[in-house]
Amino acid sequence: MTARRRPGYAPAGPVPPGRGPGGGPGMSRRGFLQAALVGAGAVAIGGALAGCATGADGSGRTTVRIWDLFSGADGANMQTMQAAAMKANPDVSIQSVTLAWGSAYYTKLAMASSGGRPPEAAVMHMSRLAGYAPGGLLEPYDLDKLAEVGIRKENFAPAVWERATYQGELYALPLDTHPFISFYNPKIAKQAGLLGSDGKLVSLDGVDTFLDAGREMAKVTGKTGMAFGYLLDTAQAWRLFWGLYGQTGAGYELVPGKAAQLDEKAATEVIELMQSILDGKVVPANQDYAGAIASFTTGRSGLILSGEWELPAFKAAIPDVGGMPLPTLLGTPANYADSHSFVLPKQAHPDPARRDATYRVLANLLSQGSLTWASAGHIPAYQPVLSKPEYQKLTPQRDYAHAGEIVVLDPAVWFAGAGSDFQARMCDAMSASLQGKAKAKSAVDGMLREMDRLLKTPNPA
Amino acid sequence: MTVSSTPAVGQAADRPGRHAGPAPRPAADGVRTRRGVRDRSGYLFVLPFVIAGGLFLAWPIVSGLWMSLTNRSLTGLGSEFIGFDNYVEAFKDPQVWQTLWQTLLFTILSTIPLVLVGLVMALLVHTGLPGQWLWRTSFFASYLLPSAVVASVFVWIFQPDIGLANTLLDKVGLGPVGWLTDKGVAMLSIAMVTVWWTVGFNFLLYLAALQGIPGTLYEAATIDGAGGWRRLFSITLPQLGKVTGIILVLQILASLKVFDQVYLMTAGGPNGSTRPILEYVYDTGFTNYRLGYASAISYVFFAIILVLTLLRLLPSRKGR
Repeated sequence: MTARRRPGYAPAGPVPPGRGPGGGPGMSRRGFLQAALVGAGAVAIGGALAGCATGADGSGRTTVRIWDLFSGADGANMQTMQAAAMKANPDVSIQSVTLAWGSAYYTKLAMASSGGRPPEAAVMHMSRLAGYAPGGLLEPYDLDKLAEVGIRKENFAPAVWERATYQGELYALPLDTHPFISFYNPKIAKQAGLLGSDGKLVSLDGVDTFLDAGREMAKVTGKTGMAFGYLLDTAQAWRLFWGLYGQTGAGYELVPGKAAQLDEKAATEVIELMQSILDGKVVPANQDYAGAIASFTTGRSGLILSGEWELPAFKAAIPDVGGMPLPTLLGTPANYADSHSFVLPKQAHPDPARRDATYRVLANLLSQGSLTWASAGHIPAYQPVLSKPEYQKLTPQRDYAHAGEIVVLDPAVWFAGAGSDFQARMCDAMSASLQGKAKAKSAVDGMLREMDRLLKTPNPA
Repeated sequence: MTVSSTPAVGQAADRPGRHAGPAPRPAADGVRTRRGVRDRSGYLFVLPFVIAGGLFLAWPIVSGLWMSLTNRSLTGLGSEFIGFDNYVEAFKDPQVWQTLWQTLLFTILSTIPLVLVGLVMALLVHTGLPGQWLWRTSFFASYLLPSAVVASVFVWIFQPDIGLANTLLDKVGLGPVGWLTDKGVAMLSIAMVTVWWTVGFNFLLYLAALQGIPGTLYEAATIDGAGGWRRLFSITLPQLGKVTGIILVLQILASLKVFDQVYLMTAGGPNGSTRPILEYVYDTGFTNYRLGYASAISYVFFAIILVLTLLRLLPSRKGR
């Protein structure tokens, strides 16, 4: 990256004396144009040269390129972890590339892989694995090599490991589980009489208990009891829906080429429940993602249904913010979640030295970095960390860690997953009903229509 | 030399002189002897554009057409020739027709006000409001903003809970409007934002055209006793006919290729009601990785635009 930018800095080149770039207001039009031309040329050449970088950088260290999609506190934590991993492996230089989260990230990753020159490792949501592993865009992990660097199957929850495997091969190295949970403001909960003797929120299981709690908190805040932002968001409504659908215990079958099998009765029940929560009193009927966060952090609501990755933002505003899994509203405890993992995009000409360094770095990030990673809210997938006293000291992380055991993941079908068109379409189909402008049934019909359409689409991978 | 030959002299002496050429020789034989040099230098000048155009325009058109006949995927897998299957699928795909209709709807909703508002603004400024430069600048300024800035500003203004628009409505006792979240309103909001954003360009074209109308016309009309309205309808508007035609064509083409503000403000929602066809192409090709099918939809869209353009050309040819 730096190599590519450097030539652009200074407009080097034939600039008339006394009118150099440092000359401030004295720069002439001609000087500017010359400099711009030279700069552009240099960038072009620099770009071309950057393309043929070798396995080691100038200092003789092996370069490992890692793509990720972490911003905010996650991004800062990942930088810290990578810096520590480099310290532990002085012969390795990690080149981190952070790209914006969302569908475009996966477009870039797929393009880089199909071009044969992807990074050595990349972060991927496990929910996207079904669209990547079968298409040959990823390289499976060598389990013996992983064992050499200290990473074994026993280190992970069996369900998570299972989800990271495809046809008996491990394609993703799980980093965390990040569930969609509830955070609460203890001060507001206390005034609403909802705090137990242990200072934690009482159980909100059951629809009536949950709605009552919302109304009580609304009395305290004078606005709404809880917050949930979903308008124009391409994932939020789906996260809540799919988690609650999991709580009904109903099954589903999404097999390409066949019609979608979804328990329509259960799905309608879930949408109706969501409608009764979004009644304008318990939760505003028309909140968007940023609006919900603003409402919770400014005390205009006492509880928020949100991904745990927002914890750093909440902690900054409410230092004693509490957390717990999604309350069990419909029978079976279940909690929507996804996982970040490291994958090895398939390279046309893999460099063994780099591959070797990649294994060492990733092992370090998991075994040594997981605690840092947990500080931003995520539940580490590397189990040995969970029992460490340092992790047990993290609040509210330890209070919702068991959400990781009742996880509902996205359907394992090629078009689903984080940042997918599928999630966006599902959210879109629910939007009118959740705003109270349509019946619950019409949302379910819309979702089934979209599922059928996508199931009919040929798998491009 | 006679007057009539002057342009030729000017050309011959001028053109080679621009790049290299020794001092211009007597014009008459200059034309003849330098023709060879001039022709070759012409090719040289055109060459960069031919290369760039070939690489970035002609070749993508050809390769896109080929791609539309394959099941090419972004992941680089499976690129077999499948004939017209993609086109058959596109014609049967309700999403293609829905997004196409929404693109046309946006074109209608945006083009009409963009032309009318631009015209009215230009007329008002041209009638001689004091502080011309201020009006010109403020009407044109929004056009200079990048689409991402416009989108994020208006996403906040239209924010359902705490946005400026709903706060103001609330102050005068009107209920909240789902500017970007209500199926019936979202497209109108986007059209409105687009008008605010780009009307300055049409305004400028109209203003330039107004300034080009000879003052003598107005003078003569005034002497004949025509009032202000009469002059507007009988002189100004007819004189603006040509520029209106240009603005219309530019505007229709710009509106048909709408993508950025929609993608940034609603991503096609709510419930797909603002998704233009180009976003469907993007979603199909880049989010769902089906490049072949996405290309086929693009070519269907291209064909429709081509037909529309030709239809527009027919009567205007006859008119001449």
